[in-house]
Amino acid sequence: MPPDSRRDLIPGLLDMLVLKTLTVQSMHGYGIAQQLQRLSDDVIRVEDGSLYPALQRMRQKGWIKAEWRMTPNNQRARYYTITAAGRRQLGEQQDGFTTLMAAVQRILRPA
Amino acid sequence: MREFLNRIADWLRRDRLDRELSEELRFHREQLERDAAAAGKDVWSARRRLGNVTRAREESRDRWSIPSLDDLLQDVRYALRGLRRSPGFATSAIVTLALGIGANAAMFGVVDRLMFRPFAYLRDPDTVHRVYLRATNRGVESWDYGGEYTAYLDIERFTTSFSAYAGFAHSAMAIGTGEASQEHDVGMVSASFFDFLDARPALGRYFVAAEDTTPVGANVAVLSYEFWQSAFGGRDVLGEKLQVGHIPTTIIGVAPRGFTGVFLNSPPAVYIPITLYAGSNPSRENAATYYTRYNWGWMSTMVRRKPGVTVEQASADVAQAYRRSWQVMRDLEPSEMPLELAKPGGIVGSLKSGAGPNAPLEARTALWLTGVAAIVLLIACANVANLFLARALRRQREVAVRLALGVSRWRLMRQTLIESLVLSLVGSVAGLVVAQWGGAAIRRMLITTEAASLDTLSDWRTLGAVGAIAVVSAILTGIAPALLSARGDLAKTLKAGAREGTYHRSRARTALLVARGALSVVLLVGAALFVRSLDNVKHLRFGYDSDGVLLVSRNLRGTMLDSARLVELRRELVATAQALPGVRRAAWASSVPFWSTSSTGLYVAGIDSVRRLGRFTYQMTTPDYFAAFGTRILRGRGFTTADRDGAPLVAVVSEGMARALWPDRDALGQCMHVFDETSPCTTVVGIAEDIVQQTSQLSESSRYQYYLPIDQTRPSAGNYLLVRVAGDASQSVESVRKALQRVMPGQSYVTVRPFAELVDGARRSWQMGATLFVVFGALALAVAAIGLYGVIAYNVTQRMHELGVRVALGAERADILRLVVGQGARLATAGVVVGCGLALVSSHWVQPLLFGQSATDPFVYGVVAALMLVVALAACVGPALRAAGADPNAALRAE
Repeated sequence: MPPDSRRDLIPGLLDMLVLKTLTVQSMHGYGIAQQLQRLSDDVIRVEDGSLYPALQRMRQKGWIKAEWRMTPNNQRARYYTITAAGRRQLGEQQDGFTTLMAAVQRILRPA
Repeated sequence: MREFLNRIADWLRRDRLDRELSEELRFHREQLERDAAAAGKDVWSARRRLGNVTRAREESRDRWSIPSLDDLLQDVRYALRGLRRSPGFATSAIVTLALGIGANAAMFGVVDRLMFRPFAYLRDPDTVHRVYLRATNRGVESWDYGGEYTAYLDIERFTTSFSAYAGFAHSAMAIGTGEASQEHDVGMVSASFFDFLDARPALGRYFVAAEDTTPVGANVAVLSYEFWQSAFGGRDVLGEKLQVGHIPTTIIGVAPRGFTGVFLNSPPAVYIPITLYAGSNPSRENAATYYTRYNWGWMSTMVRRKPGVTVEQASADVAQAYRRSWQVMRDLEPSEMPLELAKPGGIVGSLKSGAGPNAPLEARTALWLTGVAAIVLLIACANVANLFLARALRRQREVAVRLALGVSRWRLMRQTLIESLVLSLVGSVAGLVVAQWGGAAIRRMLITTEAASLDTLSDWRTLGAVGAIAVVSAILTGIAPALLSARGDLAKTLKAGAREGTYHRSRARTALLVARGALSVVLLVGAALFVRSLDNVKHLRFGYDSDGVLLVSRNLRGTMLDSARLVELRRELVATAQALPGVRRAAWASSVPFWSTSSTGLYVAGIDSVRRLGRFTYQMTTPDYFAAFGTRILRGRGFTTADRDGAPLVAVVSEGMARALWPDRDALGQCMHVFDETSPCTTVVGIAEDIVQQTSQLSESSRYQYYLPIDQTRPSAGNYLLVRVAGDASQSVESVRKALQRVMPGQSYVTVRPFAELVDGARRSWQMGATLFVVFGALALAVAAIGLYGVIAYNVTQRMHELGVRVALGAERADILRLVVGQGARLATAGVVVGCGLALVSSHWVQPLLFGQSATDPFVYGVVAALMLVVALAACVGPALRAAGADPNAALRAE
């Protein structure tokens, strides 16, 4: 596991991953972090030092909604839900990212 | 945009968001620890994985903090704290600003209503105009032309610039029948009038072109919503009969709520077709010829510009149309003036006549008073700026310390400006209350009807204007102290002791003081001019004695009486009035000065066209007229009962008329032919004093009036009874009305009002100008005096030490007194000189508003200058006496 991969996520990448995660179901911050970690086989670890500011930013942009709910263990937690604007945003970001990755791969492809 | 709003929303609930974030982070940590424990891992390594919690918190917090807003809030709090700490300063500043801003808010409400605010429901108000027509008569250009229905038709016929035309007029008429009948305003409008407005009828429909046709329109009426509610309780009235004056109508519709057409002063209760009104006019001549001849001017024309036509093009079009119309008129009436002399012209202008070329005196006075209110505000701002400056000077050390501690100068300036803004806003709120209370009084004086009721506190245009005024006054009051706080020489102030650092002759303060003095002088000069104008108007001999006279109007309203019966009724009314206790004289009159006048053909041997000399109005009366109305007979005799049908025809003429018609001969015994060139000679038997007939003639001198005995001319004519009572006329209104009403047959009725009411209306604008100028002027004088006192007293306090030294060195009490009073006198003199100069410069514009009073009257200027100096010296006396008591011992001990 190369240590660098966890730190410098390309700007906007975290947003995209969080939005993608939320398309499945509403989750609280911890759940999002766990989910990202699990889905990426531990490659991506999100520090809450960057996760929570990102969540606030996306909430203000109107991509996600936040509300307090009880967890299955009966604890109070703030759950985030993706909005229609968030889904649109995710679509755009995904397209952009796919194009970018293809371009990067073309460059990196051995001649 | 949305993100920004969310940020603001978050900022407003930032404390809660902080708490929530903490809870969220705690939850995150607990989950981590629980999972770690479950996996049997070290709790501490889990905590390490948590990352930098502080950073999370800080960065999240950045999302909902807006630093500039926080700073601003801090400054506002600081300002409020500062104001609370010095309540004296805060109160005087706020009261001063409240008066200044309140005066402006009130005047804005008035002027906006008179001139700018578009009428409710009017579609595309920018393209709608009133047509103003002018012509020149005997070298005097006037805009009172083109009121004929024929002129309206000509404008429509001869222009191409407009997509729509409408004619309108209004008049008070009795509505309803019997006891329930009451006088209301009635709008006479063309059917096209309603197309100008985007207003669906609340009920039924408006009248259409087919109902608005010459010679007589259909007998239909549209009610205003408000009248419908008050008179009919809002029930279904379609198809009901409604008596409008002498015209029977059927109600076909109700206009929506708030619909006032384009009528500013009194919104009509009922609208009827303009051709119905004209075609049913009691004057048979008017009714028959209003659409073919040019004898009866009574209405206004409005137009809508076609897209792409500029106002200038439209005006030029109207001007050429009116020239053609004039030619048509002259072909019909060769006695009218030829085109070259009359120079007819016209423009399209504001629908509101207050903003038109012949703005009524009220509107012009209102505009002036707005200027006065602005000056009051300037003075108020100067006063508050002065208070600020004094405080800034006192605080110089504090400011220097703060600068030394690293506060930026910009921040200091901003703080000062915010302080003044807070003051202005608080002052504005207080000012709105002032405006609500005082503005109602002003509007009553100027607009005089229920339409004037305007709730200042909920009117957005006024609130917006007040907001703008508040910001401007904040800048005016705050800019000088703000610059001062940013300037200060840091090292010098810090080095200087408390004593040395405080006494400054501030040039800014001196300038402010002189400016205030000058502005007060300007206002006082204005006040004096208006007061003297009003005085002149009040003492003006109107040519009759209006106090103690009741004007009784007879309204037959459709009750058909033959002329014999009419004469009988007239005699009965005069006799009944004459017999009432308290009534001295009663006389019948065919016309009423200030109310309705008439003219007819008049022919005098040796004069080509009498008409060209001016308008000669006639009055048909009973013998007691001159005694009842108080018009003096200067020479010859009045009428007697012997001047009846069959006796030689006689007339009394006014002095001015006698001079105009027979300049080099005695008018007594001269012969005139009245009505017709071929009618027999009417001999002048008396010369009466001139009378004032109209508001506009208060300041003009065409007072050509002649009197004819009614029994010799048209015994059945006239609708007016003039009754002179002993004592206060307004007390007798009801008793006279009741007694006379008993005589009236059928549905006819009488209305009674004190004649003085008509005359007072004409004096109104001077009355208002005088009142408000005096109030504002006194206010300004008080503010200026207090300012002067403050400055002198402050200087004396600051110089106490220096003065003590002077006394110790041998200065006399008188020297000290002279020193202090001299300073005040110099400032006051400067203010007087500058103020008189300003007043002289503006005298040119104020002159037309005055009456019998020169705007450059040296007496007025002298009195005001003396008053200003006396007040200034009085303001200096207290501090000067204190200065003279300076204790040399104290001064020397302090050294």
